[in-house]
Amino acid sequence: MKQQTIALTKAGLFKYTLASMLFAVITLLTIILPAEYNIDPTGIGQTLGLTIFHNVKAEKTTSLVSDKVSENASDKVKWAVKKIEIMVPALSGVEYKFTMQQHKKLSYQWSTNGLALYFDLHGEPEGETTGYFESYAIATVKGMEGSFTTPFSGVHGWYWKNTSNAPVIVQLTVKGEFEKHGLE
Amino acid sequence: MPSRLQQYCFFSFTVLLTLGLPVEAFAHGVDENTRTFLQQNTGIQIIPFLYIGAKHMATGYDHLLFLVGVLFFLYRSRDVLLYVSMFTLGHSLTLLFGVISDIQVNAYLIDAIIGLSVIYKGFDNLGGFTQLLGKSPNAKLAVLIFGLFHGFGLATKLQEFQLPEEGLIVNLIAFNMGVELGQFTALAFILLAINFWRKHPSFTQFATSTNGLLMSAGFMLMGYQLTGYFMS
Repeated sequence: MKQQTIALTKAGLFKYTLASMLFAVITLLTIILPAEYNIDPTGIGQTLGLTIFHNVKAEKTTSLVSDKVSENASDKVKWAVKKIEIMVPALSGVEYKFTMQQHKKLSYQWSTNGLALYFDLHGEPEGETTGYFESYAIATVKGMEGSFTTPFSGVHGWYWKNTSNAPVIVQLTVKGEFEKHGLE
Repeated sequence: MPSRLQQYCFFSFTVLLTLGLPVEAFAHGVDENTRTFLQQNTGIQIIPFLYIGAKHMATGYDHLLFLVGVLFFLYRSRDVLLYVSMFTLGHSLTLLFGVISDIQVNAYLIDAIIGLSVIYKGFDNLGGFTQLLGKSPNAKLAVLIFGLFHGFGLATKLQEFQLPEEGLIVNLIAFNMGVELGQFTALAFILLAINFWRKHPSFTQFATSTNGLLMSAGFMLMGYQLTGYFMS
């Protein structure tokens, strides 16, 4: 196969190779490494503001959950309103739980985009290892509104089961005092 | 001799293309949404896997750089097809073999090798091997070898998700076909642009510096990935 190439002299080849390496090293040291790894031997990355990605503690949220938060306290346990979107994949189940103290109230409202899902709203006491849980409500519905008051400290929330062949999005809004929340 | 207008048109086309490139183009990474899907998927999912494969190929800038290097002096469709087939062969072999037999290779090292492939192709296009060794290494073999490495890289990435056994083989084949689709899409655009440019005197004029820059980008990729390897 005939291929057209560039014919450089040895000196020219050397010059181009060296120049390309030099350019790469300069770019790496001043731009790429500071931005990607916070390695900034020249200080130029700092000057350019490229190390900013490492100054903020990035809060990583799972993409399953997108929430809009309005909080009014900065303690560990806080009263908050949260809108959460949960994806229940086709032919499987998902658990979404809130860590709550005893005798706290959580008001909730959730709905799907029209499809009825089997759910089990329940709580598991803190430190429970035997798999014991207490169900507050079980049904197969398109959505539900209500509230519960926790009988014990632990994790409380929903198990949703999707028996259809397509993923279902659950829009959940909660109001109450909880520490952590997320998928299990 | 093309008119000034034509030259200008081509220049703006290139600039637009560059600006339009996806900002979140990722090199061999898997973005958040895809991650979620991979972790939750069950059973046979042909179209989604096809799509992930295609997206991976069409947005992986390191792979696109390698393609630019390979296609720079290739224009006969027979040659292009031959090269793509060699790459596909290598890629498919290691992807299937890697996932099925649970082989994991460090992703940073694989990506560094892909950076090396860009350097190799830039240097080769500059006539470097012909000048130093008297002849250029077998290009088809080189493409095959880089294809093999590329497949291992992907196999490693996919295994991080502990894909369910159910429908695994079919999903992998769908993914692999998606890779081909994405490759053809990327190829079409790159060929179009390079073949258009080839007709203009600026092609010869800038061929040397373009391949120099290509090499430089390869060095950057390598430095970036190797640093990542030593830091992890």
